[in-house]
Amino acid sequence: MGRWRYFLQRVLLSIPVLFLVITFLFVVLRLGPVDPVAARLGPQASGADVAAVEERLGLNDPLWEQYIRFASDLLQFEGQSWVVQADRGIPAVLADTAPPTLWLGFWAILLPLFIGLPLGFYAGLNPNSSRDYISSGLGILWLAMPNFWLASMLAAFLASTASGGPLGFEWHTFGPNIQSVQGTPSLNFVTLSSIGPVPFPTGLDLGGFARDTKKILPPAIVLGSASMAAEQRIGRTAVLENINSKYVETAKAKGVKGRKIITKHVFRNALIPLIPVITNEAFLLIGGSVIVEELFTINGLGRTFFQSIIQGDLPLAGSLLFVFTLLLIVLNIFQDLLYTIIDPRVGYDQ
Amino acid sequence: MTGQQPDEVDNTRRKLLLALGGSASVGLAGCTGGDSDNEGNGGENGGTNGGENGGTNGGENGGTSPSSLEVSPPQADKAQAAWERVINNPSPDAQGLRNEAYVEMEEAVRDDMVLLPLYHGLTERFWYNDVETPNTGTLGSHHQIHNDTSVEGSDTLSLTNATFNTIDPIQSDDTASARVINQMYETLTHYPAGVPELQNRLIEGVSVSDDQLTWTITLRDDVTFHDGSSMTAADVKYSLERVALSDNSVRASFALDTTGGLAIEHETDEENGVGPMSAVPDSLGIEAVDEQTLELQVSAPNPPLLDVMTYSAFAPVPEGYVGDVPGYDGEVTVDEISRQEANGTGPFLFDSFTENEEARVVRNDEYWGETANVSEVQWAIFSDPQAEYDYSVREENADIFEIPTQFYSQEQISAEEDDRGRDVGTYQLQDGPETEVNYLGVPELSTFYFAFNVSQTPKPVRMAVALVANHEQLVQQIFQGRGVEAFSFTPPGIWPTGQDGYDSWLEAWPYGRNESNFDAAERILSNNDYTSDDPYDLTVTTYSSQVFQQAAGNLRDKLSGLGVSLELEQAPFSTLQERGENGDLQMYSLGWIWSWESVAYGMFSFEPKNTNTDEIPGEANGYYLDWQTALEDEA
Repeated sequence: MGRWRYFLQRVLLSIPVLFLVITFLFVVLRLGPVDPVAARLGPQASGADVAAVEERLGLNDPLWEQYIRFASDLLQFEGQSWVVQADRGIPAVLADTAPPTLWLGFWAILLPLFIGLPLGFYAGLNPNSSRDYISSGLGILWLAMPNFWLASMLAAFLASTASGGPLGFEWHTFGPNIQSVQGTPSLNFVTLSSIGPVPFPTGLDLGGFARDTKKILPPAIVLGSASMAAEQRIGRTAVLENINSKYVETAKAKGVKGRKIITKHVFRNALIPLIPVITNEAFLLIGGSVIVEELFTINGLGRTFFQSIIQGDLPLAGSLLFVFTLLLIVLNIFQDLLYTIIDPRVGYDQ
Repeated sequence: MTGQQPDEVDNTRRKLLLALGGSASVGLAGCTGGDSDNEGNGGENGGTNGGENGGTNGGENGGTSPSSLEVSPPQADKAQAAWERVINNPSPDAQGLRNEAYVEMEEAVRDDMVLLPLYHGLTERFWYNDVETPNTGTLGSHHQIHNDTSVEGSDTLSLTNATFNTIDPIQSDDTASARVINQMYETLTHYPAGVPELQNRLIEGVSVSDDQLTWTITLRDDVTFHDGSSMTAADVKYSLERVALSDNSVRASFALDTTGGLAIEHETDEENGVGPMSAVPDSLGIEAVDEQTLELQVSAPNPPLLDVMTYSAFAPVPEGYVGDVPGYDGEVTVDEISRQEANGTGPFLFDSFTENEEARVVRNDEYWGETANVSEVQWAIFSDPQAEYDYSVREENADIFEIPTQFYSQEQISAEEDDRGRDVGTYQLQDGPETEVNYLGVPELSTFYFAFNVSQTPKPVRMAVALVANHEQLVQQIFQGRGVEAFSFTPPGIWPTGQDGYDSWLEAWPYGRNESNFDAAERILSNNDYTSDDPYDLTVTTYSSQVFQQAAGNLRDKLSGLGVSLELEQAPFSTLQERGENGDLQMYSLGWIWSWESVAYGMFSFEPKNTNTDEIPGEANGYYLDWQTALEDEA
């Protein structure tokens, strides 16, 4: 089976998955006990006010009509939020909330990649040394701290440095000035122009970039902490396994230099088990961002998704879930592709 | 993963829970019962007054003490009759009669125990010493307009807010959005800073015809909108029409309903009508007589009309500003007035609004009244209490703020009661700058309660719950003292028969005030064959709030072994409401917040026929009590 045929198959298979997800969400939210009109109007609304909104949102139409409208709106990225950002178009909501989450996710993936992985490799290369113990100990510590706890503690600690932290450290004035640990990064450091529908960056404001990076670092560390630990531990094991394998011995016997063995052979082989770990992180980040965005008051996809679910905002929750599902499917396919590049032995042929 | 905080769930529930941010005080706002004649509780049962046992417990007060309490026949007919008397006697002269009827309804609610009031909310505000701001009143700080607030050494007033989704007056239904809207839009009458003293704002005078059906309102001639045009009667007419007729209006009932509304005369027609209430556009009894004179025809005498007028939805916008009223094309779209534009008469101009992030208004230098001291007001929007606390206290970013219960300690308050029953003083911060800040605790016009679905919960069980409930313990231990014990639905601040009437009401409370009467509860239950061997299973549903779960847990522990087995359950607010509408709740927790001083505004939902969950939310709009099942002609 050729590579492209396999891809096609994967894409086709994702259609029933999407369909099931959409249907499941509709059933849960629409037939479940959450009343979007109550969430929107509150207890003081009179019966007539409630009936009018129900009519306007089309809640009195036959269920199958509601379902078809819901599904077609999703596929075309149309429709309007019912409650959370009442009457606002879904694309506008996405345009507001996606960038902060992407920015958070970017750093939350980058940090483990550049801290967890090197630490793990380092520990693997120096097994059972005191440096290994320190690195592994840190990894276990990171793993043991749950996101919601770490987020509260970090936010409270950094905030309290405003009135004098330990050794005079003050986070708000350390580096670029920020007013608060809380809040959404403005993300206006890039000036965008566009040719036709394709935007491209034309300018970069370094001060703004630094500020937004500083703002996102604490939540990104929290969000990335678990993955950081996972990568550290798996990286260590993978390096250890490879370094003791026969081919390394052979290479040594052939007289290949130690440095070359490690960079060219050991690292490359050690990366293989890490690929699913890293791509799976992306899913964790989507789930984890709900808590982290809430605790750091970041106006992102996670927080919006959570609010839309509990308030029965069917179109918004549906669209967000649709985006998440798409992302998941794309990442899965991308993961397969990465395998074939890093490890040529893995192919699509059976 | 869903460890949601009570106040992050949605706007409306936030409104309900607003009162959770309060402290302990038993000071109460002055009575506004009108020409009450203090005849006490006019009913024939429940004891007309409490005798001389002025103490906190019911003690030996014959007939009403817990030890001799018996299950009385259903009181629904009494409540229904009382409400009908209110409706049939709308004239101002009949105020005394209506007040008595309200007390009778309270008695019926109490004696049938369809609803157990828990506490009245208390709002607490804190502000740094460099901020000058008037003390807010019982109707809520969202009434406050910040043109008289000043910040020493700063041009920006920095505040926090909960999430909200519109800045359009007619689409707003929560205090979070009202806080912002009230800076940009003004209503004809207002309660300054939420103090319950009604004042004219955009009007010079009002006259009412002898039959009470025509109100003539004279407008000020010096009021201008943000776009520079002067406000005329035509603008006000359009704005009132917009509340009544626009599809986007969420409170059309406030314009058209006879109880709890302006009662503007109108015809309805399913075919030709528009808006939420299907009103016929040209039939509305609103007329612009000349530039400054507006005439309102009401469908029934409506004494609290000017009180209702304080609701932010009625704030004037220029005629034809939005095209969602029949006959107008509109200058801006609905989406624009919801989020990007504002054109009111207030002291601040719209600047920016990013949902879930921030809202900002700037000073209107052309304001017709006193221009603001600060050039800008900015709200950072939070849904997580710790995040808000970090921002406002640990980082000192907010000038005026609230303190969530987990960071709050009553011992830090040193305050004295003022003549409006507010606690005014200082609070010693334990975080951030650790300085002393200003403190204000205001008893609110709100009531939080446990209610019962009458058709699903037998009366002896309901009475047993009331007998074991210890209000003082609940408020002090579980709500951290941030509330005032409630023994009536109507808050004492607006009790219909005045402070004396309220005092005798307290004394007549038959279930024992601030004590748990286990013996009486057990006696009543066992007389009705509910025993610990064969207990009655009762499910209590609270909204997703830890404190209400704890309160329910407290009751469960007290009832165990007495013949009622209480099971706890929680649901998000919107779920709770949906289930209530379906009659699918046995016992539940909710709250009610008064938007203006009116007893009727809380009472109409007790009319037994209005509590029929088969008809809620369409025909009926009462509390989810199904009390009509206890009416004689329904039984």
